[in-house]
Amino acid sequence: MAGSALRRLMAEYKQLTLNPPEGIIAGPINEENFFEWEALITGPEGTCFEGGVFPAKLVFPSDYPLSPPKMQFTCEMFHPNIYADGRVCISILHAPGDDPMGYESSAERWSPVQSVEKILLSVVSMLAEPNDESGANVDAAKMWREDRAEFNRIAEKIVRKTLGLS
Amino acid sequence: MRAASITFISLALTTAVVGNAFYLKKQFYPSVVYITKSNPSMAVIYIQALVVVVLIGKLMQKVFFGQLRAAEFEHLADRSWYAVTETCLAFTLFRDDFAPRFVAQFILLLFLKAFHWLAEDRVDFMERSPIISWLFHLRVISLMFVLSLLDLYFVNHAYLSTVSGGASAQIVFGFEYMILLMIVLNIAIKYVLHTIDLNSDNPWDNKAVFLLYTEVVMGMFKVVLYVTFLIIMVRIFTLPLFLFRPMYYTLRSFRKAINDVILSRRAIRNMNTLYPDATPEELSAADNVCIICREEMHSASKKLPCNHIFHTSCLRSWFQRQQTCPTCRLNILRIPGDRNTAANQAANAEGQAQHAPDVPPVPHPGLPNPFLNGVFPGMFPFWQQQFNLQPPNQLPNQAPPPTGQPGQSTQTNPAGQASTSVTAGATTGTAPGVQPGPNVMPVPPFPPMPPGFGLPFFCPPFPPAPPPFAVPPPMPPPGLATLSDEELRRLESAARDGVAARLQCLQNIQQLLDAAVLLMQQYSNAAATASAASVTSVPQPPPSSSTSPDTGTGVATTPTPTTSTTPSPHVTVTSNTTQNVAQAEEKQPSVSLSPGSPSSSRSNEEKGNSSGLTHSIRPDGSGPSSSSNQTVTSAPSPEQDEIRRRRLQKFSGIPESLD
Repeated sequence: MAGSALRRLMAEYKQLTLNPPEGIIAGPINEENFFEWEALITGPEGTCFEGGVFPAKLVFPSDYPLSPPKMQFTCEMFHPNIYADGRVCISILHAPGDDPMGYESSAERWSPVQSVEKILLSVVSMLAEPNDESGANVDAAKMWREDRAEFNRIAEKIVRKTLGLS
Repeated sequence: MRAASITFISLALTTAVVGNAFYLKKQFYPSVVYITKSNPSMAVIYIQALVVVVLIGKLMQKVFFGQLRAAEFEHLADRSWYAVTETCLAFTLFRDDFAPRFVAQFILLLFLKAFHWLAEDRVDFMERSPIISWLFHLRVISLMFVLSLLDLYFVNHAYLSTVSGGASAQIVFGFEYMILLMIVLNIAIKYVLHTIDLNSDNPWDNKAVFLLYTEVVMGMFKVVLYVTFLIIMVRIFTLPLFLFRPMYYTLRSFRKAINDVILSRRAIRNMNTLYPDATPEELSAADNVCIICREEMHSASKKLPCNHIFHTSCLRSWFQRQQTCPTCRLNILRIPGDRNTAANQAANAEGQAQHAPDVPPVPHPGLPNPFLNGVFPGMFPFWQQQFNLQPPNQLPNQAPPPTGQPGQSTQTNPAGQASTSVTAGATTGTAPGVQPGPNVMPVPPFPPMPPGFGLPFFCPPFPPAPPPFAVPPPMPPPGLATLSDEELRRLESAARDGVAARLQCLQNIQQLLDAAVLLMQQYSNAAATASAASVTSVPQPPPSSSTSPDTGTGVATTPTPTTSTTPSPHVTVTSNTTQNVAQAEEKQPSVSLSPGSPSSSRSNEEKGNSSGLTHSIRPDGSGPSSSSNQTVTSAPSPEQDEIRRRRLQKFSGIPESLD
């Protein structure tokens, strides 16, 4: 019998393949290693990221689901809650106890109840509604607050880039 | 490409050097002597040797590992960097011995270390890959065999040379290879455990525990080795700087391993003593999927005080990290150890679940419904039984039950705060006119409990009042057999606070008795007059605002019997009863009111989601991370509203599909 982390990841993969949530595709990069996944997220409709398809990489720890995975966009992103190198900063991905921004309550942290699907849905909603309180990308947070038009313009450029249009 | 060109250049240089020597000297021995005397020639030969070593390494890697994975390569690069710097530090220590042979030995050591790291990574990979081929097993087994043989040989060699030639740099090698031997042993144990797990058909729950203990034992060996090494080095040579980083990491991981074992043991103990096994009915009634591993629960499942059910092994490994319920984040350590019946515990938990609106309770049809008699949920389950058994007018027998039971029932969960304020509001015998406000106050979902408040001791009924003692003795359980020695000692503590706590407990009992007698007198008066002349209107004296927390201490629980023994809220009262009685009656609706709100919230929750899956992703699709945005962003314009509404529609279907 394989390890519990592996079995759970396989179960989640099956679930995601059978009932894929709208606008999200995710699965292991290589079926020999279930601990590194690739995900494609479509930008939520009605936001500045609409129409974009954003690739991201998920790396799971060996004690998943007791510890959260790490998520990193592999395309260029400009968003208040995404670091310049693409790492995603949302509370659902932080284990209780480590709090990089010092504001998250433990109720919204990682717990084994969460899943890949919920993480990706949270990321979609994060794309739709950035939280400019936790500035993973301070420039983006500032622009989101003060110069929304410019922010939308940059987001659109990124969307076009992910689609290979420019 | 670059590696190939370097290899080629070095080969060409060597050929040139050797050819040149033969060309000059014509014979074997003179040319060898010529090469060893000439520094440039020797440099070329050394470079060639290095290249050959690297090539052999590559070959070994191909044989034993095949293609390296990216993560393995990264690990290797990181660790090699540290190992090289440490080797350079070690060179400074042995600069007198500095010789090609010495350098060669260090390079060999580095090489073997690299293979140990790779083997470690490979064995860890076993847990991650669904496909483990026979080639993998063959490679790992042969690698471990070769590595352990080499380590043993070098340890032996170092030992012999130290014994015969006295202390030298060989001590360092001896210790290094000893530590490598430990690593091989550790890898082998892990490999065996993983293999057993892979070949068994059922999940092996205890593997994690075995791994933990292996970690501790191996960590201990390593720490002992390092400390001995350090002492010997300091005595013979000087402070070995190169030793500090690995020693620090070993100590740290050893500490972590010990910590893990302690936490794990605590989790196991809690699991065995505090939480009941889930019964087959409960398993079939609920969703029957362990939310941690997403697999069905057939056996070995535990139910937490919040009624959530998990696999025992899943729960144990989670409790090693955190002592909260994975679903509702109820802090399980703050709930005092309830060693009474499981039903009592479940009733308390049910009361708590009602009061935390964010917690979707798992329905449990087998549980007694604490709402049936209109008593506050989960509070005073024993009182209810007791007073239902006894006729209401036996005054002296109405003494409160042994404090163990109120102690249990005032166990403070979020419900406890509200309910104690209810009872405080009803203590009209000694503290008249407490405002009945608190009992309808909404209770925050997960309020942080004051540290002393949740202890299994009879706390004063006023929530703001600080607990009387920081460390009260535990409640007397029904049977002493269930107590550990340590708990027994705590129970009989002769320390000052232990004695004081016992005294306080007795005083509380006395106050409770007095209050109960007083109240029952008033009650019998009221009942007598009520039966004589029935009056429909209840006088409403204005509630006085002030109350002294001191006088009310310990009387809190007494009115509850009146509520349970008089189920009809419209008890008739004559106008000539005392004001106290009138107030006691006035409080009654408020007492019976209070279960109303939680029960309604409960039904709402049951209508919505009962599996607890959707608690972090709200149906509106905004994840927990973005929940704070809505207040931060500027006032939404109509089209933003429209967008949000559309998104709501889009995502509202998802949580249901999750269930």
